[in-house]
Amino acid sequence: MELKEINKRLEEIYEKIKAEIKWEPIGPTPMPEIADLRNWDMRLLKTYKPFYAPFCDMCCLCTYGKCDLTENRRGACGIDIATQQARIVLLACLIGCSAHASHAGHILEVLIERYGPDKKIDLGNGVEVEAPHIRTVLGLKPETLGDLKIAIEYVYKELTHLLDSVHTGQEGSYLDYESKALHASMLDHVGMEVADIAQIVGFNYPTSVADTPLVDLGWNAFDITKPIILFVGHNPATSTVVVDYLRENGLYDKVEFGGICCTALETSRYSDKAKVVGPLSRQLFFIRSGIADVIMTDEQCIRTDMPQEATKAGSALIATLDKVMYGLEDATGMDTEEIVKKMVEEKKHFAILDPRKAAEVAVKVALEIAPKRRKEWITEEEAIEFAKKCGLCGICEQVCPNLFEIGKGINEVAKGNFEVIRDIFNLCIGCGKCEEECPRNIPIFKIMQQAASKEVWKIRAGRGPIMDTEIRNVGAPITLGTIPGVVALVGCSNYPDYRDLAEIVDEFAKRKYIVVLSGCAAMVAGMWKDADGKTVYEKYPGSFDAGGVVNVGSCVANSHITGAAIKIANIFAALPLRANYEVMADYVLNRVGAVGVAWGAYSQKAASIATGCNRLGIPVIVGPHGSKYRRLYLSRKEEDDWRVMDARKKQIVDTGEPSPEHLLYVCETKEKLMVTIPKLCIRKNDTPQGRAIKLNHYISLYKKYMGGGLPEDLHLYVRRDADIPLVYKKEVKAYLDSIGWKPKEPVGLPTWIGTYPTKVPVDAVIH
Amino acid sequence: MSQLSPILPLHRVNTLTGVRTSRVVEDPKDIVKQIKKAQRPLLVIGPLTTKVTLGDKLLIEYAIDIAKAGNIPICATGTTKAKLLEFGVKPDSVYDVVEIVNALKDPNWKGVRGEGNHDLILFLGIRTDLANQGLSTLKHFAPHLSTITLCKYYHPHADYSLPNIRKDDQWKSILEGIIENLKTENR
Repeated sequence: MELKEINKRLEEIYEKIKAEIKWEPIGPTPMPEIADLRNWDMRLLKTYKPFYAPFCDMCCLCTYGKCDLTENRRGACGIDIATQQARIVLLACLIGCSAHASHAGHILEVLIERYGPDKKIDLGNGVEVEAPHIRTVLGLKPETLGDLKIAIEYVYKELTHLLDSVHTGQEGSYLDYESKALHASMLDHVGMEVADIAQIVGFNYPTSVADTPLVDLGWNAFDITKPIILFVGHNPATSTVVVDYLRENGLYDKVEFGGICCTALETSRYSDKAKVVGPLSRQLFFIRSGIADVIMTDEQCIRTDMPQEATKAGSALIATLDKVMYGLEDATGMDTEEIVKKMVEEKKHFAILDPRKAAEVAVKVALEIAPKRRKEWITEEEAIEFAKKCGLCGICEQVCPNLFEIGKGINEVAKGNFEVIRDIFNLCIGCGKCEEECPRNIPIFKIMQQAASKEVWKIRAGRGPIMDTEIRNVGAPITLGTIPGVVALVGCSNYPDYRDLAEIVDEFAKRKYIVVLSGCAAMVAGMWKDADGKTVYEKYPGSFDAGGVVNVGSCVANSHITGAAIKIANIFAALPLRANYEVMADYVLNRVGAVGVAWGAYSQKAASIATGCNRLGIPVIVGPHGSKYRRLYLSRKEEDDWRVMDARKKQIVDTGEPSPEHLLYVCETKEKLMVTIPKLCIRKNDTPQGRAIKLNHYISLYKKYMGGGLPEDLHLYVRRDADIPLVYKKEVKAYLDSIGWKPKEPVGLPTWIGTYPTKVPVDAVIH
Repeated sequence: MSQLSPILPLHRVNTLTGVRTSRVVEDPKDIVKQIKKAQRPLLVIGPLTTKVTLGDKLLIEYAIDIAKAGNIPICATGTTKAKLLEFGVKPDSVYDVVEIVNALKDPNWKGVRGEGNHDLILFLGIRTDLANQGLSTLKHFAPHLSTITLCKYYHPHADYSLPNIRKDDQWKSILEGIIENLKTENR
């Protein structure tokens, strides 16, 4: 690029990020474009190489093909199998990013229309660094809703360029596609941050507070004698207006409302009267129960057959966003009373894109139809009668994605035993394939509902960003290692077993890790009680501190988790973050012992959230079916390059220490997950005391879940005697002696800056 | 150019080769033949072997007998190592399944006994969807080795796979046949 052009580009960027406001010096990458952070990506990909597990042997994207890509064949356009996998992964990340960015854009539009672009961003006394991602990536300190628009427009622009690159006959390198996926996913965290800041500001969500209200969780939380409105999806633009309408019209206590998936979490941040039915996997179960009088859909993770399911259940349906209209008549311009009449009398479903109108219609329809509908769970006797129709053909088992013994379970119900089907329900992802294929039309879901828990649990309402004061308190213990790690349980509900979640939370909170949750994971973790009848939210404090269990909120609140990692570098370590992405990511990778766990990940959004964590230096573990994402980032601990720069000595040191060992990893079992979490929290920056604490947990969890002995790679993480936890000193010393282990010097100030081509000087990481 | 190709229809363009899928093997002798032909076979044992019972034995006991009869080194994945130790067997290596697959991709890897990478990998007891993905990786990125799956499901990405087996007796008989034939070959 010519100097003149570069200057012009920079000039435009500086104008957008208001460079004249000197709150911090502007770093090297304001509003980065595709290639600006490519060197950082390539450094990441050198140690954490892409591992591809093709889900399909062919490429079917253009009319040249389809093309067979097996045995080193290239497609008609020249693409090979690795590049094709990277291309599809990029596409998934783009889908994920655009879902959040579009959500953010829509919310902003609604709120700017309501309050104007000059509405101030105020996240309370505890949050001064309000937008760590926007500040770091763009170099902009957003002060108003209008500033957030600058951020989201930047995301839109980059998304367009990135999507362009997946067109046939463009990028030809899998590494460059990975760099683009990392770029797209970094943008995802910007988009999520825009969405949640706007929501907090526009809807007065809790902020600068750890002790948010405990709200009811579970489908039994509804009072089924009242009209019930159910929100499904992720966008609270309409659900919050329904709450307003109920309040304004004296109906707040007369109508029940709540949701499934993230809109549930969002609405519970707006009103603690909102019920959280549960995660995505409970969607079809609840819809088919017919308990909801009116269902309001917005966007993302909603069943695509909702109109058919609503009709079957006798519920009324309103689609409230243009992204999901189901082919329904758009009644936005129609008279409210006329819509109500048609929905009540003709049982018609409508799309209504005006939130006020949609809210009014929903409430009026719910009030009208609720008294006429039968809303109750089926009885045990009814379930047994249905189950008796089963001919044990086994088709339900063959179509089950998890091959559960559903037929056997149903047959046991016919004998009066609900145990087997209850166990299956606890593992079920709720796709409904079994019931769809049953030749005798047995209502398997209703039978499962009868068997399922009738418990009501508690979940702490999402609290939004981590407070700056909390970061100041935990910054030192996290980077020194005396708080052994931050474990973020995020993502969807495609779990090997939903009960794993509460167990993981309990295990690590008990050990004084900081446990952070969001989205469906936050709900599922609450669906368990200990012997004292307490959920993890009642058992542990909601503060971002050792032993805290923090629900940040919905999917878009994930940005606060990664944002907290940036804040540690910025607030605790006093490193400038403005347009300084590489320094922030390098700090997080080498010094912040945080790990993400997406144990039930299923969606493209989970792919982009995880990949965004990876670019920022946070490793992520996914459940066994996460291998279907096609790509992991793995190291080979004993062969790979573990050299870092000691920033104080300006020397490259070969540590031989694989920390963190992987960036994106699949665990085969829960037991393996339990020992991988503490290992991935180890960082080269740990003090001896911190390392001993981390190794203590690694060893004790290994003994607990892997059947005894010591971890096979323990020697790689012991630098000197002082790193060995006291309680295992004798055993570990004997092991180290037996393999000829030699001590090595810890690195004073580990960094990757200076080990790859970058504009960032090594001194930039010294605080 | 003729409108109708004498060779193939247009919808088979670029896929004439067909994607390579697994060859079904049912005869234990065929499997043993592959094992004996290999210079450095490896048996990867997953956690399902500690949970599945076949006849009056755990699946892991069949795996141990195969490894012993064929002098095949063992890689234990997930939580399998503890159960192997209970049976008095120390695995040659412990990796999670994605880690061992990642290492196997490298033709220059030293292998679990430091003697060089393996040329035949037998799998037993890995969760099937994860196994399918791992086998896909090896099919595409490890042309230097062959794979055989000993689970009761057909694995299309393996080089050799047992068929889908409905009756456990049939599966048991195949595994026992492998053990017997390996023993016979060693005599």
